[in-house]
Amino acid sequence: MNTVIKNLFSAKARQKVLAFASLVLMIVIFAVLSPNFFQMDNLISIMLSTAVTGVLGIAVTFVIITGGIDLAIGTLMTLTAVMAGVFIGYWNLPIWLGVLAAMATGAVAGTISGVLVAKLKLPPFIATMGIMMIAKGLSLVISGAKPIYFTKYEGYNSISNGSFIDFSFLVPGLIIPNAVVIFFGVGIVSSIILNKTVLGRYTFGLGSNEEAVRLSGVNVDRWKVAIYALAGAIVGIAGILISSRLNSAQPALGQGYELDAIAAAVIGGVSLSGGEGTILGTIIGAFIMSVLINGLRILSVPQEWQTVVSGLIVIFAVYMDILRRRK
Amino acid sequence: MPESLLVRIEDLHKSFPGVHALKGARFDLRPGEVHALMGENGAGKSTLMKVLAGIYTRDSGTVLLDGQPIDIHTPHQAQKLGIGIIHQELNLMNHLTAAQNVFIGREPKGLMGLFLDEKKLNDDTAKLLAMLKVDVDPKTLIGGLTVAKQQMVEIAKALSFESRVLIMDEPTAALNDAEIDELFRIIRELKAKGVGIVYISHKMDELKRISDRVTVMRDGEYVGTLNTQEATMEQVISMMVGRPLQNYVRKDQNMDANPVALEVKGLNRGRALRDINFKLRQGEILGFAGLMGAGRTEVARAVFGADPVDSGEILVKGKKVTVKIPRDAVQAGIGYLSEDRKRYGLALGMDVQANTVMATIGRFLHLGTFLKKKPMADVAEKYINTLSIKTPSQEQLLKFLSGGNQQKVVIAKWLLRDCDILFFDEPTRGIDVGAKFEIYKLIQDLATQGKAIVMISSELPEVLRLSHRIVVMCEGRITGELSAAEATQERIMHLATLRSAAM
Amino acid sequence: MILKKFAARGLVVLTALAVLAMTGCAPAKPAEPTKVYIPLISKGFQHQFWQAVKVGAEKAAAEFSVEITFEGPENETMVDKQIDMLSAALAKKPSALGFAALDSQAAIPLLKKAQEAKIPVIAFDSGVDSDIPVTTASTDNAVAAAGAADAMGKLLGGKGEVALVVHDQTSASGTLRRDGFVNQMTSAFPDIKIVDIQYGGGDHLKSTEITKALLQAHPKLAGIFGSNEGGAIGIVNGVKEAGKEGKVVIIGFDSGKAQTDAIRSGLMSGAITQNPVGIGYETVKAAVAALKGETLPKTIDTGFYYYDKTNIDNPEIAAVLYE
Repeated sequence: MNTVIKNLFSAKARQKVLAFASLVLMIVIFAVLSPNFFQMDNLISIMLSTAVTGVLGIAVTFVIITGGIDLAIGTLMTLTAVMAGVFIGYWNLPIWLGVLAAMATGAVAGTISGVLVAKLKLPPFIATMGIMMIAKGLSLVISGAKPIYFTKYEGYNSISNGSFIDFSFLVPGLIIPNAVVIFFGVGIVSSIILNKTVLGRYTFGLGSNEEAVRLSGVNVDRWKVAIYALAGAIVGIAGILISSRLNSAQPALGQGYELDAIAAAVIGGVSLSGGEGTILGTIIGAFIMSVLINGLRILSVPQEWQTVVSGLIVIFAVYMDILRRRK
Repeated sequence: MPESLLVRIEDLHKSFPGVHALKGARFDLRPGEVHALMGENGAGKSTLMKVLAGIYTRDSGTVLLDGQPIDIHTPHQAQKLGIGIIHQELNLMNHLTAAQNVFIGREPKGLMGLFLDEKKLNDDTAKLLAMLKVDVDPKTLIGGLTVAKQQMVEIAKALSFESRVLIMDEPTAALNDAEIDELFRIIRELKAKGVGIVYISHKMDELKRISDRVTVMRDGEYVGTLNTQEATMEQVISMMVGRPLQNYVRKDQNMDANPVALEVKGLNRGRALRDINFKLRQGEILGFAGLMGAGRTEVARAVFGADPVDSGEILVKGKKVTVKIPRDAVQAGIGYLSEDRKRYGLALGMDVQANTVMATIGRFLHLGTFLKKKPMADVAEKYINTLSIKTPSQEQLLKFLSGGNQQKVVIAKWLLRDCDILFFDEPTRGIDVGAKFEIYKLIQDLATQGKAIVMISSELPEVLRLSHRIVVMCEGRITGELSAAEATQERIMHLATLRSAAM
Repeated sequence: MILKKFAARGLVVLTALAVLAMTGCAPAKPAEPTKVYIPLISKGFQHQFWQAVKVGAEKAAAEFSVEITFEGPENETMVDKQIDMLSAALAKKPSALGFAALDSQAAIPLLKKAQEAKIPVIAFDSGVDSDIPVTTASTDNAVAAAGAADAMGKLLGGKGEVALVVHDQTSASGTLRRDGFVNQMTSAFPDIKIVDIQYGGGDHLKSTEITKALLQAHPKLAGIFGSNEGGAIGIVNGVKEAGKEGKVVIIGFDSGKAQTDAIRSGLMSGAITQNPVGIGYETVKAAVAALKGETLPKTIDTGFYYYDKTNIDNPEIAAVLYE
């Protein structure tokens, strides 16, 4: 009995190793099959394309570990981007204020989701679905349903596409875009929050046994709100990344991104029943998705089949998760 | 006398919607004593203690701590006052380590108050565990510990608040004898330090061993308090049920002449079941005894097709049957009444009638689609009468029935399915003392009618009382078989702890 | 345990197998340097219109014996997904590139890269708002929508209330068709009143709901223009559900089976069709020409047709309609 449970828990570590092994294997296979895959340019564009999904995945990882779900992150990302656009593009405020506005917007929306879930006891699925639609509508209202361009503001585009880490003297072409640096930065900070702070401790606690945390004298509701708010703020960072990459806030974009983010988290071993998950896992999960799609594109696999394969991968990853917790 | 009281509760009232759970309850606790609290399910023991621990807020009444009136609204306040509670359902977070569990909500902070001081967390926990002489690494995940060890961690957690009052709600429910001994050692140490312990339990022999006084509650009211050493089981039970017990006589009958209803040969499933062989005769009650995790439930589930087996044969009335899924078993006339009837046995949100016909719904259909209202009502009425199910009507939802009556509905369901072989898994768990005897009688009546019955129970007196024959298991093996005449508690326990040499 | 291990390995194996299998059914080997390879990145994929563009492109590819791939994001809001497709296409070192931008701004850096690598870019459909593309193969949306206004004006006898269900208020095709219709209507038919313009995202269901609301709000509504296939079909559904068949003149845009059926049955008066097959064909043809160093006009008008019950089966119309 005892050993069974122990194996169950060490299987958690195995999942991460396995996910990483799958990623490496996938890269090797693609590299063998196409000379165009393992090119610095392409690898960097893979990283760039992972950044937004990855940051969203990190945001949703916090919520999923509490045993909840956040469907609002996709359209909320758009709303935060639009807010940045309003601050910078319409009001001509400094870029850093726009960045702050995006994160604050995300945090406020996250707080609202959190209050709906924690205080009003709405199921997270429903509460965040409501916020998803509200964010989508507000994005269109605030932007006047037109993209807000940042073309006048040179610096904005370089938040994502610029690069202050240039290794091209070491390896030709190894110029890491800032979006990727920010993505990894968010990953490191989130990992620290999740593992080294009280907030992180309660994130796991809530997902593991909420009642136990409550009975331990913790103000469960307040912490839950804080976790949703943190996730919202991280979504704000994703909003900055995508709008600076596109050099515009696209008000109609966003829906569907939450599913990619959730898929990344799940592939990375975050358990949808709560209590388990790591930031690194989610990052690996996001990379698996984007390497797969990029690789299949490079191999000119028809688009229909690319989608089929992504679906298979998600199903298999979740099946693994189920096997892992079965006695 | 009152000056030496740690806790004194007077005239406490608490209502929930539709239930007056506490009606003038009383309780007191001296420092350094173990005060047992007894009563049937629903008597208000847990509610009373949850009020003391700040989980519920009282409607009226007084709670004194050290002679001072206190007013507790949250578990946090109770903890600050030194009142700790260990719940029956352990309240731990499986995905966190022992240390993280102990200090949840009070994590020591390091750098700038932002980050957790994991080292201090582990060191402090190690100290607490060492004080209790418990061998648990603070860094192990709770989910990987045995229930007993988890409980020790809960105790360590309660002590970390410097609790002077410790409430334990059925702490031994899931422990084996050695683990109970260990728990009692810790309780004695706490007693010696002046901690007052409230001990909620049903098990009289334990109370004799560990408690100083016993208070009995019934229907949310205070019944009386006895010194444990002077109290007898009969006395306490009659206080609990409010009437003297009807005496029970065991029939030492030999069933060997009856035809074999079920034979199981060489059943194996991984490490859970190893070479299980037994025979069950018509009209016989075969008891399955053993400790928690000995594999008794697994035998039932395997025979019933709920778990896949590696090998083994099942013969019903001498004919070999293939049981791959529960449906196969049901068709062979085997019924299984799960130990967790709320999860597996019943649809609590549906009414008595619907639950009764659940497994036989095919018989009550017009054109295979529409429900036949009248026959369903007739059949439900019949079983309500024959099993004397106490329900205001057939339309009563199952969740509003008592545990005993819920159990009877499950029995009705399987009887209706024409099952001649019935597996009862912990049939009286969570059922009031009074209702237990009705279930016993029912099981015996069924046997008398010729049904073949396997009864799995962790309560030895229950097994001894009902069984014609007793099979004892340990670690997935059958370690012995006793006839009713030769069975005693001591012999069963000997067999139940007969571990195989090779581990 | 065994099962778990099996499944664990399974993920790796499945991944590998899936990749191998997919590669097996990949039609092209663009890595071969000998063949001319032209990827087309469109604005959409599932929509029949884009599938028709693909058909045209494949036709030209066969004709000029070049290799093409055709990709587009799932819906027309996914700007960044399109950028990812564009960068993957460039990683394959193509000979030329066909591109229909969802948002030109976002694509500029990559297009510059293509320009530096001397890869000619052919814009198609709504085009690219930049001087990098050597040419743009597209329908002149404003002119085409004006054609729709003309048709409706005539059918209404020059008076009445008209509304628009437009697919999108951000993209060029949406705004040009809207404005082209409105301008032509106000100048050529001053007695026709445009009472409302709504946006349905090209979604059939949403456009249906919008239409029903329009009919509710404007009981005298005599005509509705749908600016793309989804919008037009939505209008037909909405009018049907509201029980106003035959009382409202419906002019659609593009084709597709549902739309052509509605026209044949008389539910719809007619529709403007672009020439999607022509767009795909001209794009690839222009790319081949550019690779040969030929000079190309700044825009290639792929044309439009107004079709109704009377001419729907004419060979020149039938050829550009897609199912």
